[in-house]
Amino acid sequence: MLHIEGLSKSYDRTPVFHDVSLVLAAGEFVAMLGESGVGKSTLLNCIAGLDEADSGTVLLDGQPVLQLGEPQRARLRREKLGFVFQAFHLLPQLTVAQNIELPLRLLGRPDAQRTRELLAAVGLEGLGARSPAQLSGGQLQRVALARALVHRPRLILADEPTGNLDPATAERMLDLLQAQVKAEGAACLLVTHSAAAAARADRRVRLTATGITG
Amino acid sequence: MWRHLLPLTMAEWRHHPWRHAVALLAVALGVALASSVQLINHSAMAEFSQAVRAANGEPDVTLSATQREGFDDALFAVLARDAQVAVASPVLEIDSHARRGDTEPRVPLRITGIDALRIASIAPALLPHLPEGSKPTTLIDPDRVWLNPAAQARLQVEPGQTLWLQSAEGWQAMQVAGRVATGGAPLAVLDIAAAQARFGRAGRLSRIDLRLVTGVDREAWLRRQVLPPDVRVSTAEETAQRISNLSLAYRVNLGVLALVALLVGGFLVYSVLALSVAQRTPAFALLGVLGLPARERRALVLVETALLGLVGSALGLALGAAMAWAALQVLGGDLGGGYFPGVAPVLRWPWGLLAACGLLGVLAAVAGAWWPARAAERLAPALALKGMGHTDNTPPPTWPGLLALAGGVGLALLPPIAGLPLAAYGAVALLLAGGVALVPVAVQALLRSVGTPSGALPLLALRRAHHARQTASATVAGVVASLALSVALTVMVASFRDAVTVWLDSALPADLYVRSTLSTGAADQAVLPPGFAASAAALPGVLRVQAARQRPLQFDARRPAVALVARPLPDPAAALPLIGPLLAARPGELSVYISEPAAALYQWQAGDLIVLPLPGNPQKARVRGVWRDYARQFGAIAIDAADYQRLTGDTALNDLALWLAPGAAPAELSSTLRRLAGDATPIDTASTSELRRLSLAIFDRSFAVTRYLQAVAIGVGLVGVAASLSAQVLSRRKEFGLLAHLGLTRRQVIGLVTLETLAWLSAGCAVGLALGLAIAAVLVFVVNPQSFHWTMPLQVPGWPLALLTLAVLVAGAATAAFSARQAASRHAVLAVKEDW
Repeated sequence: MLHIEGLSKSYDRTPVFHDVSLVLAAGEFVAMLGESGVGKSTLLNCIAGLDEADSGTVLLDGQPVLQLGEPQRARLRREKLGFVFQAFHLLPQLTVAQNIELPLRLLGRPDAQRTRELLAAVGLEGLGARSPAQLSGGQLQRVALARALVHRPRLILADEPTGNLDPATAERMLDLLQAQVKAEGAACLLVTHSAAAAARADRRVRLTATGITG
Repeated sequence: MWRHLLPLTMAEWRHHPWRHAVALLAVALGVALASSVQLINHSAMAEFSQAVRAANGEPDVTLSATQREGFDDALFAVLARDAQVAVASPVLEIDSHARRGDTEPRVPLRITGIDALRIASIAPALLPHLPEGSKPTTLIDPDRVWLNPAAQARLQVEPGQTLWLQSAEGWQAMQVAGRVATGGAPLAVLDIAAAQARFGRAGRLSRIDLRLVTGVDREAWLRRQVLPPDVRVSTAEETAQRISNLSLAYRVNLGVLALVALLVGGFLVYSVLALSVAQRTPAFALLGVLGLPARERRALVLVETALLGLVGSALGLALGAAMAWAALQVLGGDLGGGYFPGVAPVLRWPWGLLAACGLLGVLAAVAGAWWPARAAERLAPALALKGMGHTDNTPPPTWPGLLALAGGVGLALLPPIAGLPLAAYGAVALLLAGGVALVPVAVQALLRSVGTPSGALPLLALRRAHHARQTASATVAGVVASLALSVALTVMVASFRDAVTVWLDSALPADLYVRSTLSTGAADQAVLPPGFAASAAALPGVLRVQAARQRPLQFDARRPAVALVARPLPDPAAALPLIGPLLAARPGELSVYISEPAAALYQWQAGDLIVLPLPGNPQKARVRGVWRDYARQFGAIAIDAADYQRLTGDTALNDLALWLAPGAAPAELSSTLRRLAGDATPIDTASTSELRRLSLAIFDRSFAVTRYLQAVAIGVGLVGVAASLSAQVLSRRKEFGLLAHLGLTRRQVIGLVTLETLAWLSAGCAVGLALGLAIAAVLVFVVNPQSFHWTMPLQVPGWPLALLTLAVLVAGAATAAFSARQAASRHAVLAVKEDW
């Protein structure tokens, strides 16, 4: 489903990572560890077509992401990718339901029923009309998870999704993430510093300056 | 603490030199305009006052004629014999023209007749300089004339050359004998007896300047005097006051224009500072976390802006001085307004006024920085460090805006203050402030009427526009203000132009016009030759001729004279553009018709009985109607020519209106009429179409500046939009980054920002349009009548306003799209990973 081959990236001649190769099968849950600054987020950006690589290829469902033009990359993200961030990134001007439904609207097929399903799935039934400002951190991250899944993406890119949560909430969030990703049949690449979070994954890899190990 | 914090400011200025240079320049330009207007006005008025003082000298008492025709010089003989009068100096003043030869153009000038033996001790500036070797009797030579520097410069004549002075009896040849030192407008001095004899003023004087014997109580002496009715005690300040009144509305309008420039400067400062504070939010947040109190953050922004304002003001004062100097050299003291003809003042320095201008510049900058400073004060440091700035969804109170609007309406209803529409200008300012304050309410009202769209981009744009009311208000405030001003000016100019066009139709009923002079003051000397009207009527192609006489009437020594227009008025309703009813004539009463400015300036109305100060024969007259007149700002009175001639015996004529037969060529007739008048009586001729074209061209030229103002105002409003959007794009980088992650293309992100801005701009334009119409009503119905004493119907030019609004929307959308480019940049994508 995701096939990365020989990917290298540098900023102003300073290498970030070199010769990274990674394969994710459909429905696989993979945790990626690595020290700060090693380029984990940059690698996610390259996978999503939000950043350029110096060399190498990224194939997502057979599509060469880095060879696509900007509109095609955007379409690829709309259709096939879901994102969960450390800082939630909900839009304060939209309600909880509107935040969740946003990817569907971007695809031109708003679906209130599907939105309600996801709200229920993440345990926020009845809170759809609320503003994000009225929710706790854990609830916000659950909304972000629902948003990442609502359009049935092929791959979830989760960048330290528990980094802003307390341990108990983080634990529940990871349970939910794993269960929902499996339920939706998506693959997930989870970037984390937490060994406990990584331990839940089907497979663990470590990103270093010279490539991926594990 | 400031000593340690100001280096942060310097670093910010060094980092964004051009942005701060723009703000500095905006303040400098506002101060330059304001200070140059003040410098020019002050210099011109000082020059004129000095000239008046020099010409009047320093008498203990001045006795002046109430009318231009003067008073009987028998009074002089009485005063000269008075034992308590040390010196009595008679003066005769006549407005006329001079020229070097038959084919040379006429130059308007004042002819002043003096007694050279008496003038020296009272008004030495009027004493002719005798060339070396000349006999003292030259001073009383009836054929000699002395010119002041302005007259010498305009006429280009040297001592010994012949100069021709226009008199009702024909052109008078005089020899230029030398110069007098008096400054100001062109002036010719000659012996008083010659002036009386040659200019039809035998036995008449304009004034007598008196020096009393030392020790005589001036007031007691005055109480003992029994003065003729056409003589009054006057002061030199009256003349200066009259000239000041002449140009007062013009100067105040220029001053208001300068204040608008400063306001514009304040808006630019606001835009720049809003952007600067948004960019420095992390720095302010860090300072807050490190212990800098909120008030100190506000103070830091205000202090650095005050410094910027100070430097801008200093630059502006220097620039203003240069502009004033250049304007005085090129345009004269009235910037081409025609109020101080011939005066070429030197620059004088009213230090107090200049300091006030500088202070205004600093205040405008600080006022512009107030809201950004409050934003720096209100930010929550910990949240701001995490990139979670405060939301502004709290509905702002509506009462300040409503209160300002109500205050504006209240001020618009007040009468003029000191003869000026100061309350109306205050009304315009309050209406603007109230309208801008109510923009968030208008945005809400507009958005409430729009349902929830299904598309992602319209939904995001609408929700954002709904969510960020305060930001919306700040973004479009400049556009609301500039569009309101532009709409107001467009409506006012269109109303005025339409009214002038309609008025010209009734004011110019004939086909061809002839005038002996363009100056009412010189109308006594520049008259048409006897029999000219009858000769013109007999010319082939002329169907009918109507003659008119013009002369100035002085009702108030402190105001410019009113023009008395004597012409046949068999049917006043048809001959005059009356506003209001024509009252029935009363048997045995003299009828007159007053112009709108005359009615406003002297508080007359139809039905009033007024006294016409006709020379030697004051007459009571009934006002039967008020007529519209856009030509004479200081008033005119129309009287039937037969009545005028019966009362004054004056059969002289100044103007002719000619109705031509079909096929008659106005150009050929003009040439014939000029030949008929001869070189001795230069006349101006113009066809109706020429006069219409010329009048409207002058009108358009006069108001051309308003178009530049509109363009500048809208430009500044759009700069405000750009700066505000740039600030928002900075503060919303993470939001745009998220949207990029969710699959929005660069074009879609730009489209989103543009759509949001369009939603705000639409509300802003609606408010600006409504506000502009309200301000236009104040300009048309209050400012114009109070400034210039004429009224006009309000005309709303639909298409120009629609195009103006559309242009603002399109320009605003383009500005938004341009500013939004940053929103779709790679930095925005990466911002989702920023911790702060």
